[in-house]
Amino acid sequence: MTAGTIHNKEQFLNRITSQLGRDRNRQVGLPEWQHRPQLDVFSGASVNELAAAFKKNSLEKSTFVVNTDKANLAEALQEVIMKYGGGQVVASKDARFGEFGLDAVLDNEKTHIWDTNRGQENIEIAKKANIGLFISDAALAESGTIVQFNDKDIARSISLLPTVYVAIVPKSTIVPRMTQVVQAVHQSVEEGNNLATCINFISGPSNSADIEMNIVIGVHGPVEAVHVIVEDL
Amino acid sequence: MAMKIGEKPFFDRVDDALEDGFMRNAMAKAQDGLRGRKLNATVGDEQIGDWEEWRSAGEEIRRHTLENLDYYLDQLSENFARLGGHVYFAETAEDATRYIQEVAKKKNAKKVTKAKSMVTEEIGLNEALEEIGCEVYETDLAEYILQIDDHDRPSHIVVPSLHKNKEQIRDTFRDKANYTGTEEPRELTAFARSQLRETFMEADIGVTGCNFAVAESGTISLVTNEGNANMVTTFPETQITVMGMERLVPTWNELDVMINLLSRSAVGQKITTYVTNLTPQLEEDSIDAPKEFHLIILDAGRSNALGTEFQSALHCIRCAACVNVCPVYRHIGGHAYGSIYQGPIGAVLSPILGGYEEYGELPYASSLCAACTEACPVKIPLHEHLIKHRENYVEKKGMTGEKMAIKTFGIGASSPALFKLAVKGMPAILGPLVKDNSITSGPGPMKLWTSVREFPAPGKDNFRNWFNDRGKGRE
Amino acid sequence: MKVSLFITCLSEMFYQNAAKDVVEILERLDCEVDFPKGQICCGQPAYNSGYRKDAKKAAKQMIASFEASEYIVTPSGSCAAMFKEYPQLLKDEGEWYGRAKKIADKTYEFTQFVVNILKVEDLGATYPAKATYHTSCHMTRLLHEKEAPFRLLKNVRGLELLPLQNNYDCCGFGGTFAVKMAPISEQMVDEKIRHIEESTANVLIAADNGCMMNIKGRIDRKGKPIEVKHIAQILNTRVEGRV
Ligand code: SF4
Repeated sequence: MTAGTIHNKEQFLNRITSQLGRDRNRQVGLPEWQHRPQLDVFSGASVNELAAAFKKNSLEKSTFVVNTDKANLAEALQEVIMKYGGGQVVASKDARFGEFGLDAVLDNEKTHIWDTNRGQENIEIAKKANIGLFISDAALAESGTIVQFNDKDIARSISLLPTVYVAIVPKSTIVPRMTQVVQAVHQSVEEGNNLATCINFISGPSNSADIEMNIVIGVHGPVEAVHVIVEDL
Repeated sequence: MAMKIGEKPFFDRVDDALEDGFMRNAMAKAQDGLRGRKLNATVGDEQIGDWEEWRSAGEEIRRHTLENLDYYLDQLSENFARLGGHVYFAETAEDATRYIQEVAKKKNAKKVTKAKSMVTEEIGLNEALEEIGCEVYETDLAEYILQIDDHDRPSHIVVPSLHKNKEQIRDTFRDKANYTGTEEPRELTAFARSQLRETFMEADIGVTGCNFAVAESGTISLVTNEGNANMVTTFPETQITVMGMERLVPTWNELDVMINLLSRSAVGQKITTYVTNLTPQLEEDSIDAPKEFHLIILDAGRSNALGTEFQSALHCIRCAACVNVCPVYRHIGGHAYGSIYQGPIGAVLSPILGGYEEYGELPYASSLCAACTEACPVKIPLHEHLIKHRENYVEKKGMTGEKMAIKTFGIGASSPALFKLAVKGMPAILGPLVKDNSITSGPGPMKLWTSVREFPAPGKDNFRNWFNDRGKGRE
Repeated sequence: MKVSLFITCLSEMFYQNAAKDVVEILERLDCEVDFPKGQICCGQPAYNSGYRKDAKKAAKQMIASFEASEYIVTPSGSCAAMFKEYPQLLKDEGEWYGRAKKIADKTYEFTQFVVNILKVEDLGATYPAKATYHTSCHMTRLLHEKEAPFRLLKNVRGLELLPLQNNYDCCGFGGTFAVKMAPISEQMVDEKIRHIEESTANVLIAADNGCMMNIKGRIDRKGKPIEVKHIAQILNTRVEGRV
């Protein structure tokens, strides 16, 4: 990897240091924070309680929620696709689809699986697609949020360009709130791993309240969203 | 256009604002709505426990970060560059725009899309890019509305077009963009979507601000609802992020707390629809991610506050909670402040960044009701900063007229003898002016009071005498 | 219990009646009330306008005047809050800091003192009227007293206390703000009066003389038939009239 460049750093930071009235080049450690309310949210909640909160908060964010189990997932997914008008589907390239027994559902001419070999064409397809399908990497009970760790196969466009996003949410991945996800990310950083280029927390369809504070659903991102919660425990 | 709005003096701007009934209605309505939403999502959401704990958490994180700002900026820049990104430390707005112009020229960029960012407004980036022949597209709905309305200026740091009602927006769309629909927000929004859809794909450069940068990983975190920031950072080949130098956190763990405070305080949401965390990455053959990353870290006057009693003003996370509860902002709106940073935080920050010459009046545009301080998610003592500004301003200017006003009638008299004299003399001085138990038109400094309201007639008795005599006559 | 009355400058000059009511109520509750003679204005107008030196002078004078007091009680939330500000104001003035701290710790706004220290909520008052209450900014946000006035008013016979829309918004007084930013202040007080009218109350009750002076001044100017009363005036009213 070629490293990037840094301009004017020393001069800039030295000014800050002199304003702050002390020396530079010290090691700074994080203090023991006195206030950590984030740790108490849903602490001790069961998986079912978390799933129920996730559902409730998803619904609040104008997101349709389906509960199913592994055995019925394929069928449930078909129903969702039909309910939202079928049409072109674009899905991430994700081995987990196979583990969930969805290969058959995805194997049809109306479904495009992201393929880096086909370059820009992927984006063209996603732009016209009705449905973007992917598996959520984590989900937050507190806010009805799904999390994507995007890479070349779990492409950003899939949850962004189609009219509807459909996220498969394995029940085991539902955590209380962002806190648990950032802890994992932080640990990964400490271990020296490179992060996914985009870690995206998504909560329902895009929206805006910029005109007289009226909430309008569907701006530049999806207009509708579906969270399919799968019993996987 | 930079930070400053308008050329008129402060009181003329206030007069203009007070005459603008549309704007004032919009402001009052928006404030009431935003306030309610924020309360529901903060003190009103039992899911998250005690909101005060969250505020304290935010405060201690911000304090620690600013106290060690040099360390964390160093770390951030090293991490960003290690992953292949380019970091430019800009001391002034001009340094920042010059650098970005150079990047744009090198990339031979024609089209630039932008996500919402006050800091790029502050440095006048659009003009700088247009100057070298780029077409710049604002993609946040509010910014888009302002841009096509002949570059109207922002009146609110979170919803920059807050001063416009839907009819005005419809008319602008009709006049400037051949819109033929109604004033329905849904229809207006759909129009903006259709106008920008292709542009997102065609842009050469995507520009964003930065809600928070994470020092430990070189990550930029963007907090949005519309999906435009994702479009802006997904399709162009080059991503340029401009951040105020104070907008960072040490690690992801602190990011979590700040995102929660921001989402709930700014828009009353448990979390915004998108919290998008972008880390430079060059190795992957991604099709829909930028290939070049630039991070501009801007001072532009911020360091003036470091090491002074104003340091905590840099703790600000730009949520506008203080703006949304400010009774002065409610009536005069954003433009009257003459700065893109308005309301209480604007009145604190603008003089720090732009000096007292330009913004010295703003700290007086507050009744010190402290609604701002109470609302601030990171506990910045905003009203105390306003008082501190006044002290500095007085020291510089020595305002004798006002001092006289304070001293008149013994309010502010600092010796008992003078005070008593004033109290005693009051009926004699004011007596002749009293009509029907109040004063309608007063002299000197009282005139400003009586221009609006009656002045009370001084009490007839002397309280101290009453107090001493009150035992007598009983029983 | 020994109580020193901090009357406040506005009260001494313009609103003696309310101050008298405070004294009478406290004495009825078996407090021994004294009036430190050295007291002047608390210095808040100077402090808020940026005249720190003048404010310090006033603060020192007040500290000297009230140092011997057991409790300091004042019929103004805003002025009580200013006493609480003294330690911060005098933090660089050696021994004055400690002295300021002692003063601050024993200062109470009148309703706060009655409810929280004397533990009395029913003063036996009767006041048949439709009223609404103006929560002053400094009392609620700087002194953090949001409940005491309501607890006392709840027990006033015949008083119908109506909710006030946007009660949290400042009335536009703000000390010198009212004159320095007169056009803005005017809009703020007008909106406040609009909300008072909408509440259908005939009486506005407040616990801060500054707000009262502002709101009443504007109500009178506009010729609105709304009375403005200090809370002590309401609480000291009984059917039989005064003692
Ligand atoms: S000062 Fe506080 S309330 Fe105001 S915008 Fe900044 S963080 Fe938000």
